[in-house]
Amino acid sequence: MPPNTPPIVSRLHRRHGEKLQQGVIISYTHIAQPYSRTIGLIQLSDGTKVLAPLLGPNPSIGQNVSPRMYLSEVAGSGLRVYNIAYEILVEKAIPHPISPSFPGYILALTGPSGVGKSTISRLLTTMCSDFLVPVPILTTRKPKKGDDGEYRYVSKKTFVKLQKKGEIISFAQIPSSEEKRWYGYCAHDIEHLWTKGMLPVVITEMHLLQGLAGHYGRRSILSLGLLPPGRSKRSMLSHLLHRLRSRGRDSEKSIADRIKNAEADLQFFRERQDLFDRIVVNNNLNAVVDLVQQYTRQQLRDSP
Amino acid sequence: MQKDVFVIGSGQTRFGEWWDKSLHNLMQEAFDAAIDSSPCTALDIDMVIVANMLGELTNNQAHLGALASSLLPHQPPALRVEAACASGSIALHTACAMLESGRAETVAILGAEKMTDCSADEISNALMGAADSERDQPSGLTFPGIFGLIAKRYMHEFGLTRSQLNLVSARHHAHACENPYAQFRNAIAPGDVENSPSVAEPLHVLDCSPVSDGAAACILSTKHKSPVRLAASQIASDSLSITERSSLTSFLATKTAAENAFTEASVTNDDIRCIELHDCFSIAALINLEDLGFSEAGRGIEWYIEENPLITINGSGGLKACGHPVAATGIKQVNDIARKLMESKERFGLAQNFGGACATCGIHILEYAA
Repeated sequence: MPPNTPPIVSRLHRRHGEKLQQGVIISYTHIAQPYSRTIGLIQLSDGTKVLAPLLGPNPSIGQNVSPRMYLSEVAGSGLRVYNIAYEILVEKAIPHPISPSFPGYILALTGPSGVGKSTISRLLTTMCSDFLVPVPILTTRKPKKGDDGEYRYVSKKTFVKLQKKGEIISFAQIPSSEEKRWYGYCAHDIEHLWTKGMLPVVITEMHLLQGLAGHYGRRSILSLGLLPPGRSKRSMLSHLLHRLRSRGRDSEKSIADRIKNAEADLQFFRERQDLFDRIVVNNNLNAVVDLVQQYTRQQLRDSP
Repeated sequence: MQKDVFVIGSGQTRFGEWWDKSLHNLMQEAFDAAIDSSPCTALDIDMVIVANMLGELTNNQAHLGALASSLLPHQPPALRVEAACASGSIALHTACAMLESGRAETVAILGAEKMTDCSADEISNALMGAADSERDQPSGLTFPGIFGLIAKRYMHEFGLTRSQLNLVSARHHAHACENPYAQFRNAIAPGDVENSPSVAEPLHVLDCSPVSDGAAACILSTKHKSPVRLAASQIASDSLSITERSSLTSFLATKTAAENAFTEASVTNDDIRCIELHDCFSIAALINLEDLGFSEAGRGIEWYIEENPLITINGSGGLKACGHPVAATGIKQVNDIARKLMESKERFGLAQNFGGACATCGIHILEYAA
């Protein structure tokens, strides 16, 4: 390689404009030493020829190539040397953007315990009861004072039976020091709503959300993440603690478990942003409900 | 040729990796051998022409004319010429011009290169100086890479197979077994070539001439006579960058120089009995045979398939087996042809030497007249 001083690099870069054309491989060679690379002699559209690195697998003479800039070297002086490589154009079928087996949409509300998922779900499904319908959560835990009809209680035995039959399509065990509790969603509960032209609304946590996305496809999930207000993790958690205590439904021990799980949930929000279409901070209930409604409407309008 | 130019002396070092010898030592050794073999003394030499490509880069040595001149007691005028790997034949051509013009009556031509003092990377970069620095070098190409491109294209156009190409290096190695000056005096089986490590697809290590140290000297004279004279000395050029050539599988400079040389010597291909050609890479030997008119395009390999061809090709072992101390090669080839003609008493022999991807080609036809 010639020394890369500013005038040399400047002349090299000036020639790039002329080389940014599609071309055809006249010949190529794979050089093993001193570092492995494939170099091609390429005839460009304007009839001139260039020597340049070839990118992509299995080149052959006569193949069409397309130019691409790449950073070839940062010289000792800090000078950044760009060069042109040619990429082999491969004809490849693009996977169909819409899965032919797209089953329908599910509105999923995900968030740590106490963030207000149930409240928002209840408000939404009440306001638009002819369209948005909550999907009951199957659970093996005992009914509790304060449960609001969102659960369907089954024995551990029944839960396992349904799971084995494949009727429960998404399930999770929520860690708790008090009891071993399973939660899940039945395919039938969701799919029969689709047949009626309704939009199922599910309340999920990280495992349930992943289960649903895995079963129906990520595209089926209108996924909203709900976060408590607060600029730091600590202030978010203290907000949750305040809400859990003020709703008076859980024991202090259960609250401690929930806060512990909430920490993991917040971490999950950060790591798996791909699983959320939007993340909403629940600092004003009405505003959030409006926003969710608006979002759902827009998504359905834009849907195929 | 306007005058009869005789090859009156020749000498060389063995080509190889010489840890103990400097560029200066190599030059002295070849020089002494050439003078010893000639009918003249050192003081008869009117001028020295030095061929060298890489002195500045590999030895931090420029001003080689003066260095060579100081090897002689009377320090005659000296100059250096450079045309990459064709430096040797360009030096011979320059000497002919001096002799024909009458500026000198006896000229010593000395080609020398000391390449193994550098690392492989440094020598690869230095040799890329023989290609276009702005069109060829920035792509990351090396010289084996350039000939890799050429070989790939040749195979594509003419259907040459890898196992056929193996025959070229195998033949040259077989010849080198008899040459005491060759870097590699061992025979190789054709299969060894493609089983050696890949360098630049489709070329392998045994398709490539080595990096060598060595020097070769030749004394040409219009005053002193010998049975061998130069019947033709021609050089020709082509575009430096392979991006500006219309064909990768034929070298215009060889064609032009060959045509002019055959005319100058008033001979045809049929008169030539031995050739030393520039096989820096195995594929180059085939292209050279075609461009010199010894076979049709794409059929050069037939000379290697034929077990006892009419013409001896690279009887010394060629660049592949003899070694290739860049600027010494062109002079060593002429020495080899002169020796071969003296031994065989055949009349004509030809040496073809090129630089870069044949951007410069020098061709010498030698005549033996007892």
